[in-house]
Amino acid sequence: MSIDGLLRARGLNSEVSVVAVTERRLLVLGAAFLLVNTLSLTLVRSSPQDWLHFAAWLIYAFVGHVLLRLRLPTRDPILFPLAMTMTGWGVILISRLEPAFADRQVIWHLIAFIVMFAFAWTKTLLRLMRRYRYLLLVSGLSALALTILIGVNPSDLDGLYGAPALWIALGSFYVQPSEALKLILVVFLASYLAEQYPALRAEGLSNPRTRFSLSPRILGPILLMWGVSMVVLIWQRDLGTAILFFLVFLVLLYIASGYTPLLVFGALMIMVAGLLAYQLFDVVRLRIDIWLNPWLEADGRAYQVVQSLMAFAAGGVIGQGVGQGVPYFIPVAHSDFIFASLAEEWGLIGVISVIALQTIFAVRGLRIAMQQRGKPFQTLVAVGLCAILIFQTLLIMGGVLKLIPLTGVTLPFFSYGGSSLVVTFAITGILLRLSAGET
Amino acid sequence: MPFEREINRLLIGLLITFGVVALAAAYWAVAGADTILQRDDNPRRVLAEAAIGRGGIYDRNETLLVTSIPQQNGSVQREYRVPAAYSALGYYSFTYGVGGAEAAYNTILRGDDLSTSLSEIFTDQLLHRPQQGSDVQLTFDVNVQTTLADAMDGQRGAAILLSIPSGDVIGMLSLPTFDPNQLDATWEQLITDPGNPFFARALQGRYQPGAVLQTPLIAAALLVDQPIDDPLENAAAAYLLNELTLTCAVRLPDVSLTLREAYSFACPSAFAQLIESLEIDVVQATFDTFQIENIPVLEGFVAPLDAAAPTAIPFQWTTTNFRANALGQGDQTVTPLMMAMIAAAIVNDGNTPQPHALIGVRPPTSDVWQPIINARPTIPITTSGTARRLQDLMRGAVANGAAQNAGRPNLDIGGHAALAYSGDSTLAWFVGFATLGGSDALAIAVVLEDSDDPGLAADIGGAALEAAAHSARDRTVRSN
Repeated sequence: MSIDGLLRARGLNSEVSVVAVTERRLLVLGAAFLLVNTLSLTLVRSSPQDWLHFAAWLIYAFVGHVLLRLRLPTRDPILFPLAMTMTGWGVILISRLEPAFADRQVIWHLIAFIVMFAFAWTKTLLRLMRRYRYLLLVSGLSALALTILIGVNPSDLDGLYGAPALWIALGSFYVQPSEALKLILVVFLASYLAEQYPALRAEGLSNPRTRFSLSPRILGPILLMWGVSMVVLIWQRDLGTAILFFLVFLVLLYIASGYTPLLVFGALMIMVAGLLAYQLFDVVRLRIDIWLNPWLEADGRAYQVVQSLMAFAAGGVIGQGVGQGVPYFIPVAHSDFIFASLAEEWGLIGVISVIALQTIFAVRGLRIAMQQRGKPFQTLVAVGLCAILIFQTLLIMGGVLKLIPLTGVTLPFFSYGGSSLVVTFAITGILLRLSAGET
Repeated sequence: MPFEREINRLLIGLLITFGVVALAAAYWAVAGADTILQRDDNPRRVLAEAAIGRGGIYDRNETLLVTSIPQQNGSVQREYRVPAAYSALGYYSFTYGVGGAEAAYNTILRGDDLSTSLSEIFTDQLLHRPQQGSDVQLTFDVNVQTTLADAMDGQRGAAILLSIPSGDVIGMLSLPTFDPNQLDATWEQLITDPGNPFFARALQGRYQPGAVLQTPLIAAALLVDQPIDDPLENAAAAYLLNELTLTCAVRLPDVSLTLREAYSFACPSAFAQLIESLEIDVVQATFDTFQIENIPVLEGFVAPLDAAAPTAIPFQWTTTNFRANALGQGDQTVTPLMMAMIAAAIVNDGNTPQPHALIGVRPPTSDVWQPIINARPTIPITTSGTARRLQDLMRGAVANGAAQNAGRPNLDIGGHAALAYSGDSTLAWFVGFATLGGSDALAIAVVLEDSDDPGLAADIGGAALEAAAHSARDRTVRSN
């Protein structure tokens, strides 16, 4: 029996065809965009690798579309094309900046693709994660602790530059446990808060008499997360992940409790932590100093940020064209600063397109969260997963644009980095499953 | 739905924040872009600068002297093809900047002066075309340059040759010089070289004039009707000036000479006697009209450091410095260009044309040279009658005097070869002209440092005048 026949048999014909057609059209649109850019890049510097990357993308997109149609016929039709287009765009950028890394990224894309289907295909994984949340949390934190002992930085294997050692080496591949921990934490917190939220709300955060008496039920998790974040910051000097953990937690707690002053309280805690960290840690002091005035040390410690801003300026409105700018002046352009590299070659038009794509992805994710009526765990998981992507995107975009101090996080879907891509696609897989109402 | 309100708020916050990010990106990409791109530490500026296709430099006969060779890395390498023209052309270095003619016409060569339409700017930026500059055609003649360079090989000094009545600088040489093709590799060595190879001696060299100032002195005598053919006792003898012994340009027996003969041999004693008989005001006025105090500038080229300085104290003639200055051994200094301009006035009825070195410009989009009109007026420095008498005196010096080596068959050459004393060393001068028929002529000044051989300076001058005359004749034949 054909896929359509199978779906007809399930009585999902009209809705299914709309989803399939929309997704197919969006994938074709994404393919057309990538085709034009691959062609442009080939004209600048002939490299058969780029066409292999494009062919791989087409295969992933085709297989993904067929499998999703089969398994999740009523899924959100926009998420998968968005994820694929952004990743494909990222591969073109990485190929242009560090050709040797692009092949790896395409392999990571395959792994991420498989992980996405693992989460989209069956509800078991998410259930298992929920059931064994404590075990997972302990494992995740242990893996994080392991990086403190045997962690390395692939860009600084000998530790000559004192770069944060956030990875564990597995042969020639490097895994970043803090990426997986994001997912584990969201599932853990969603699970905890899904159980606690009636009590949180009933206990009277909105009750004038008790609203300021934070119970251990609230205070406990806050302090726990704040503590975890500070440990990440102190031991790993990973400012980005620390802030990300705390912000995601804060959002989840706010959604669960409905208590708006929490956001103010959380912001104050971030500021206090920031002030303390400014006094205690060189890495934080450096980031804040160069955020306040990068021009004083444009050739020194602020070189990366200044070069990033120059890339935006050089890109202007229409950009220099793919392969025709000089974004390689920005250190680590293919990873944390990929947004600035993109700005130089695709200009403001490209930048706004990326912001729009990320925004649409987040909006669709939050829409999926709202569709989970009567399922608080699923709602909170969807919000938490979206929050990871939203805050990660905002932190790195704001950092390279000098809106906020720089935090070393990747731009979801675009930046080079296997662990990040796998987790991002795992999030996509979970959201796709939730969007189809299959939990 | 318990969480709807909170999720909606989160959504609004998300949209606002992404909007702020987009605005920040728009600020850096549009509003703040110019400021940041103009920063000196913007490496993109360096790349764009290195990729500029500087125009070629041609001589007056359209011989290519300098060209730009594009490199694989997108930068452009400057190639200097004629060693004899190195000192006149100067240098372009991505690291060290520009000098000489490269500096004088930098704006044109870079293409900064080209007005481009908005659509052209848009197309250039879209296609990443590097900036292209115009070609320039200079007044230099590669044959004259080569003759000068060959004749002055091994010497230190300068020579400059002007075409009359146009004021074209036909040849210009300053020695020692450098190879601009090897500039980056030899820079450190060049800037510490005691010979100062970057110094444009022909334009900026402030030399002791010595007996070369006998030309304005004898002009002063002519103006006040002093006899120049009466014999003067001890005219050929050495002259002692403030513990400095001045001699004729060539060794002569101690005989009496007329002022005319003394001029031919550049003998100081006769002119010391002339100075005794002249009023200080007359000498000063003559020197003033000869523009001795005004350092001339070749248009576009770097001016001598103190030439245009408003605070420079005008030279004051006094009874104590009068004799030394009039004999060219005081504080007054001259440049080779200044002396060539005096020779130019003498052969041009007393009017000196203002020198220039640019004939035409050819934009990168055109095959046609656009001529540069030189509208600067000539400067009168003496009367036509005096100029003609000075011509005769100079012809006499070439026929029978110290400047004999300048003489060339079938060429009407006049000149004055003289010695000057500077510190412990001597300078050999030759200032002369050649007539080419009609109002066309050539004027030249040659100075050799650490040389007591004015005959060699005259020989160099004669060779250069002969080469320039041949070139001028060839050009006339070609144009006919």
